[in-house]
Amino acid sequence: MSKELEEEFVKQLDDNQNIVHKICRLYTNDQHAHNDLFQEVTVQLWRAYPKFRGDAKFSTWMYRVALNTAITLYRKSTRRVKTQDYESVQFKIADRQEEDEQMEQLTLLYGAVKQLNDIEKALVFLYLEDKNYREISETMGISEVNARVKMNRIKTKLTNIINP
Amino acid sequence: MDQLDILKQNWQSQTSDAPRFTKDQLGALLAKRSSSIVKRLFIIAVIEFAFFIVLGMASHLHNQNSDIDVIGQMGKLFYYGSSLLHYVVIFIFIYLFYQNYKNISTSQPTRSLMDTILKTRRTMTWYIWYNLTYMMVVGMIATVIIIPKDPEIIKLMATPKMAGHETAFYLMVLGASFVVFLIVCIIMYLIYLLIYGILLRKLKRNYHELKRMEV
Repeated sequence: MSKELEEEFVKQLDDNQNIVHKICRLYTNDQHAHNDLFQEVTVQLWRAYPKFRGDAKFSTWMYRVALNTAITLYRKSTRRVKTQDYESVQFKIADRQEEDEQMEQLTLLYGAVKQLNDIEKALVFLYLEDKNYREISETMGISEVNARVKMNRIKTKLTNIINP
Repeated sequence: MDQLDILKQNWQSQTSDAPRFTKDQLGALLAKRSSSIVKRLFIIAVIEFAFFIVLGMASHLHNQNSDIDVIGQMGKLFYYGSSLLHYVVIFIFIYLFYQNYKNISTSQPTRSLMDTILKTRRTMTWYIWYNLTYMMVVGMIATVIIIPKDPEIIKLMATPKMAGHETAFYLMVLGASFVVFLIVCIIMYLIYLLIYGILLRKLKRNYHELKRMEV
């Protein structure tokens, strides 16, 4: 493949690499596995790139390839975690006064999301990325109604994980 | 507001100690090999195709150099005809596999990606079943045609204690080869279960999870 194509791809990947990192963080539990999945996603993106014609946004296309890699192509099964053993995720909180309390809540929520299964994680991820139900249903290949129903069930499940 | 929306509000502010990759590092990643299950499916398929082709070649070589004139006894037309048909069928399987394999694209929706991968794997299952059946049918026909003509067997049949038991003897030989065939089938099935079971365990779990949503 040509040098220009490679440069163009690396630039787009660099601009959007945060998306891949977020997915890797969600689907793996340590830095080694994180990098391993990141590498596989990159290889898959690069391989599929010549067929990406720009009819969708690069990031939209990337969500699909990266999630497919994490859910379907990636060989290793993630060990389910009871407690979050990958603690490096932080959130920037605007309100200084409520910082500690809110941070604790967010960590708890993030930990709960990590306990979901692969498919549930994908739905939650897309939801958190502010995708609408149509986009979620198109990415996963399920109907919009089913995506909505499943999302409501996941919300209940998360509440149950946090308040057992 | 529910829990998830609290997380959503702060989601984009997510940071981590983990470093971002530099452009150079990203560029270097492009040259890496994939270790995905699709790659592995492909490797297994190539081994399976090669295995039965080599097995066929080896058996031809053996028959040509054998003391017993297998080809002559089976009849040239039957022998070469069935071999030719066998390779045509293998070729059709390679074509079908390649078509399915080509359709595997990470840009399609998760559900259809899983469908295509499972379809590709099913082609290989059919391929194995075809080969086992072929070996059984040809083996049985060869047994029926060759054994009565085999000099050793003819000599054995001429002994007085075998008189009147010819049919029973042939049935026993057929029965024994069927049992051997069955054992080979079971072993193949178990190896298969192990290889694909490990490889596709995660995929199947997620596939069922997706399917469950549709009820």
